[in-house]
Amino acid sequence: MDKKKILICDDDEGIIDVLEMIMEEVGHEVMSVNDSLKVQEVIDKVQPDLLILDLWMPRLSGQDVLRYLRSHPQHDKLPVIVISASRDGEQIANAAGADQFIAKPFDLGNIVESVDALLN
Amino acid sequence: MDTAKNRDFDLSANAGASNIQLMTMALDASNSGVIITDHTQPDNPIIYCNKAFENITGYSRKDIIGHNCRFLQAQDRNQKEREILARCIAEGEECRVEIRNYKKNGDLFWNELYMAPVKNEAGEVTHFIGIQNDVTWRKNAEHDLRQQKTVMEKKIRERTMALKDSEAFLSSIIETVREGLLVLDPDFNVLSANYHFLRTFKVSLEETVGRQLYDLGNHQWDIPKLRDLLIKILPTNNPVVDFEVEHDFPHIGRKLMLLNAYRVEFEGQFKDQILLAIEDITERREVENRKDDFLSIASHELRTPLTTIKGYVQLLERAMPENASQKFLSTFGKVSVYVERLNALIGELLDVSRIQSGNMELHVARFDFDAMIAEAVDGMRATVPTHNIMLKGQTGASVIADESHIAQVVTNLLSNAIKYAPDSKQIEVNIANVSEYVKVSVKDFGLGMSQEDRKKVFERFYRGVEIQKKFPGMGIGLYICDQIIKNHNGTLWVESEIGKGSVFSFTLPKAGKEQHG
Ligand SMILES: Nc1ncnc2c1ncn2[C@@H]1O[C@H](COP(=O)(O)OP(=O)(O)O)[C@@H](O)[C@H]1O
Ligand SMILES: [Mg+2]
Repeated sequence: MDKKKILICDDDEGIIDVLEMIMEEVGHEVMSVNDSLKVQEVIDKVQPDLLILDLWMPRLSGQDVLRYLRSHPQHDKLPVIVISASRDGEQIANAAGADQFIAKPFDLGNIVESVDALLN
Repeated sequence: MDTAKNRDFDLSANAGASNIQLMTMALDASNSGVIITDHTQPDNPIIYCNKAFENITGYSRKDIIGHNCRFLQAQDRNQKEREILARCIAEGEECRVEIRNYKKNGDLFWNELYMAPVKNEAGEVTHFIGIQNDVTWRKNAEHDLRQQKTVMEKKIRERTMALKDSEAFLSSIIETVREGLLVLDPDFNVLSANYHFLRTFKVSLEETVGRQLYDLGNHQWDIPKLRDLLIKILPTNNPVVDFEVEHDFPHIGRKLMLLNAYRVEFEGQFKDQILLAIEDITERREVENRKDDFLSIASHELRTPLTTIKGYVQLLERAMPENASQKFLSTFGKVSVYVERLNALIGELLDVSRIQSGNMELHVARFDFDAMIAEAVDGMRATVPTHNIMLKGQTGASVIADESHIAQVVTNLLSNAIKYAPDSKQIEVNIANVSEYVKVSVKDFGLGMSQEDRKKVFERFYRGVEIQKKFPGMGIGLYICDQIIKNHNGTLWVESEIGKGSVFSFTLPKAGKEQHG
């Protein structure tokens, strides 16, 4: 598979670290942003192939980020995997237009499979 | 007393003998007793009595003539009528009294006595004529009436006291409750307000009592919905229950008030009244919300580092050298198991807090029941290879429910079956249609439980008496399962025998046929 650009947006550095490591391990190019207010700017700059997005973040929630993306034609095709530790995360993610929801604590195998599936 | 001489009386020297006889006959025919006393003799003796007088008194003529008429009073000498009588006689005036007299046999009779003096030409009183009527009957009637009246008055007094007491009782309650209370008349005018009300709203009695509820403060209670409910209280007897008003009140600012109103029946002037209880629940609500926030934040915050730990463990696992020792590998496996257990505990804590605060959100949708069960069983098989889980039966049914909650119940029952059957590897899951329900049973051949445990296992924090020392756990899994199934209008129950195993079963209503088009 070609190298794809994966953007990770989570406010927790530990989770960013784990996801960066696994994505690199499976051969993707990874970028991350821990401030959701900057995600829009980063997306425009790096043009990722896929976004892994946390829901519950200070300032701007993942739900708002997702809504923004889905309401802008240049982004509305961007595959988004939502990861969250809250119980109603799945409903929120689906309603806001996520392609995939994975509950925290997630299984790395699951993340890899979902990323592959969405990139193909 | 001197013995009476039985002599004829003589009123007038001119009266002819035949006339006197005629008059005597007439007097004897009268129903009224008639006596004549001789005022010129000492002690004013009776010199004449008619037949009726004998009848009334029961005395015979011979007992009467010559006596002063006071003998009729027997021992009852202290009547004030007697003084009136004595004075009139002394002063030669006529009088009318009602006096207690006694018959020969001792019976009391009320004598209505009219005494009139007879005077000679010189104006001196020579005789008295007394006319007597037995008015006992009337007197008794009067007495009864009086008696009744006093009884009535006593009753009224008592009743008033009781009323006063109950009013005092009521107002003492009203004053002591730690809730604002208003008593309203049928037109919603404030009849009284308790201290707590005044304190809650920082208002005075003067600006409250006598005014209409809707005019109080800045018209805070003038809410169409509340008006509607209050209007219905008196005619329908339907109370207003837990009506919430959030409002910017004068003096105290924005508050959340909880209103309850009931019809109260009183005696007397304001028969129907409305008791309106107002409670400031601003703080309580805040605390509740904060508690709920706290628990969901806490569980979220706990899960985040757990996610990272799990991630690093898995990264290490992936980087495991080919020649890693068996011990190394199994230790890794154990870390993952405990990460899962910690995660499950965090989830349970959050669930309990949500159930308790009534915030268990259901995301209800139609799903294929058999597929959901199969998935849950497969998930369990994958994590617990030690046990053999058999899935039997099928329903072909759809269910409208929160799929993740139902899956959680199945997983929970399975993990209990595994946990509490450490020495038997067989677990059976049965699914079937029963009438308009689907039924799931999870059967193990493990420890089983006593009757006491069976009754209590669905209670929060309850753990089997024998089990709690040997197995870890918080005793909330089944409580959550039970609440979830109840929320979905189903039932969860257990059949079990010590040493033989347990069967946990639940039912859920099936969805109707799917609407197409
Ligand atoms: N399959 C079973 N066999 C025997 N006892 C059980 C079983 N499932 C539950 N119990 C009993 O019910 C109690 C409550 O269960 P649960 O609410 O799941 O809490 P926990 O498993 O944490 O104790 C357990 O402590 C145990 O005594
Ligand atoms: Mg349990």
